[in-house]
Amino acid sequence: MEAYLPYILCVGLFAIGLYAIAVKKNLIKIIIGIILIHHSTNLFLVLVGFRLPENGSPLAPVKPAPHEQISKAEFLARSVDPVPQALMLTSIVIGLSITALIVVIAIRLHEKYGTYDLTKIRELRG
Amino acid sequence: MRGMTLIVKTTAGVLLGFIALFGLHVVVTGHIEPGGGFAGGVILAAGLLLMVLAFGADEMRERLGERLAVIWESVGAIGFLVVALLGFIAGAFFSNFLPRATGFELFAGGSIPFADIAIALNVGAGLFGAFLMLAAYRTARGKDQTEGRGE
Repeated sequence: MEAYLPYILCVGLFAIGLYAIAVKKNLIKIIIGIILIHHSTNLFLVLVGFRLPENGSPLAPVKPAPHEQISKAEFLARSVDPVPQALMLTSIVIGLSITALIVVIAIRLHEKYGTYDLTKIRELRG
Repeated sequence: MRGMTLIVKTTAGVLLGFIALFGLHVVVTGHIEPGGGFAGGVILAAGLLLMVLAFGADEMRERLGERLAVIWESVGAIGFLVVALLGFIAGAFFSNFLPRATGFELFAGGSIPFADIAIALNVGAGLFGAFLMLAAYRTARGKDQTEGRGE
């Protein structure tokens, strides 16, 4: 059960974001919920690549500093999986583009209706 | 969109060189350190965004318009396709055909750094063009929001 604790954290973040999208009426809070869901998914997929080696502490898959003498075999035995981290970089950039587009739409809605409240935006005519 | 004062313009012009250098470093060492094409492209686009904020969108549109952004984005996409098709030299689509080594050297990645450079061109130009399009919205409010002409 303790091994799955990071994944439970990611599911909890996802649930908080889903609550924000479904319940809140302010548009900015809904946008924050969308961002929270995206970040929780990224965190989950990065945490899947983690592993605990038998001897030694886990290493990040980057070039070691010159003052640390780590041989190649030891590095291969101790480092975590670098593939999910590289793929999540592209996912973070996609999240940036989605956020920019949604925030511009929210700004335009505010200019047109004068409020961020979703219940009032449905009532007013254009 | 108006620009800013002379101090801001000069400082932004000096900073653009450093931001571009850092972005190129993140792009080229994509197979050694975290980074690669996407993160480096975002850093390069952020440097260009600094210039848009300092000089104003109208002046930046004369120098680097949306047309140049679309052209460079297409060059990046075509470059990525060329790198993938050149993999046919080694037998398969998108295979790594240049000599590669295991280790942390700069030329140890094969054809991955070229794909990273193409992706950085694509992402950087695409984000810059998207920002120029989004900054074209003008708020049609009262007379206190109009642009100052002939300043």
